[in-house]
Amino acid sequence: MSPSKRTSADTENLPDEPDDLQLVARSQAGDQQAFNQLVTRYRSRAFSMIYNVVRNEQDAWDLAQDGFLKAWKSIARFRGQSSFYTWLYRILMNVAIDSIRKKQIHGGTEFDDAIGLRNIEPGAVTLPKGELQPIEKISDQEVRTRIDAALVKLSPEHRAVIVLREIDGLEYQEIADVLDCSIGTVMSRLFYARKKLQTLLRDVYENL
Amino acid sequence: MKTFEERYTGWIDGKLTAAEAAAFERELESVPDALPDKTDALRLGDFLRRHADAPSLTNADFFSHQVAARIAAESGREVKSDRRHWWQWSIPQLAMVGSACLLLAGGLFKMMIPTGTPEGAGTPYFAEIVDARTDNPHVSATPVYNPKDNVTVLWLDGLDYLPASAQLN
Repeated sequence: MSPSKRTSADTENLPDEPDDLQLVARSQAGDQQAFNQLVTRYRSRAFSMIYNVVRNEQDAWDLAQDGFLKAWKSIARFRGQSSFYTWLYRILMNVAIDSIRKKQIHGGTEFDDAIGLRNIEPGAVTLPKGELQPIEKISDQEVRTRIDAALVKLSPEHRAVIVLREIDGLEYQEIADVLDCSIGTVMSRLFYARKKLQTLLRDVYENL
Repeated sequence: MKTFEERYTGWIDGKLTAAEAAAFERELESVPDALPDKTDALRLGDFLRRHADAPSLTNADFFSHQVAARIAAESGREVKSDRRHWWQWSIPQLAMVGSACLLLAGGLFKMMIPTGTPEGAGTPYFAEIVDARTDNPHVSATPVYNPKDNVTVLWLDGLDYLPASAQLN
């Protein structure tokens, strides 16, 4: 799902509804009602995107609100070089990543990106098989809990690329635009993020 | 030149050109687990797409309401902050206010601070008489106040003589 594409029912325009750029222009003129329409249009996707990064509903709710407030404050700087949602997406992702970084500083969470990668030689592409024992059956809730726990162990940067690529389905260039980095950096981060998640989650997805 | 990690990621996602992919696969021939790992990585991606989806936003209208309230509050603060405080005035404004303050202070000084001899205060003449001494026990002094001229006269009886400096002309 590209940020420039609209797939959610929440974001579909009715024929007589103004398009994003019209609403943005009115918002730039100070029309709060126009901006509220944009919030209504994108609130679900904003919430989902942030949730996928922070893995906590309450945090996702608060951060999505912070993201919209930031977007309102900087709407005058939107020049229409990308779609409004791509622009909003970048703001939301930055809000989410900043939140993880703050939690890391205040909560003492440490992201050990070397976990599971210690045995990878430069020329090796595979990981040692997971040390966890196979599990008989795992409920959807347990799967979700395991995914949350694994994603939380990734650094903000690695978590962001995995979410943007694997869950949101963005192309490398789109991810690079959102995260303001090079495509090479995106690909490199994806390599390490995948390796770590393979180690942390293999016993789950191999047994489903 | 792409790093190994970059080419490996591109290979998994099918983003290498045909030539790049062929060259990279030749490089991977010495790594027997490469293909199983690619399958594993694709499985991970599929697993995440199917199971890591976010819950839907509940109370969506309340969410919008809260955002609107925060924006309204923020806009109110911005309007207030547009009013300039006195320390943000320009130099001409400060000069005008300073001049007005000086004029006001001058007016108040003129009105409030008394000038000249205060009413009812003693005169030098009185002080000179008091300084005069005599041994005569029959000398008496009587103050007489004249409200019309605002003058108090000290009437002395029984002095043998009056000092020349205290005599009335």
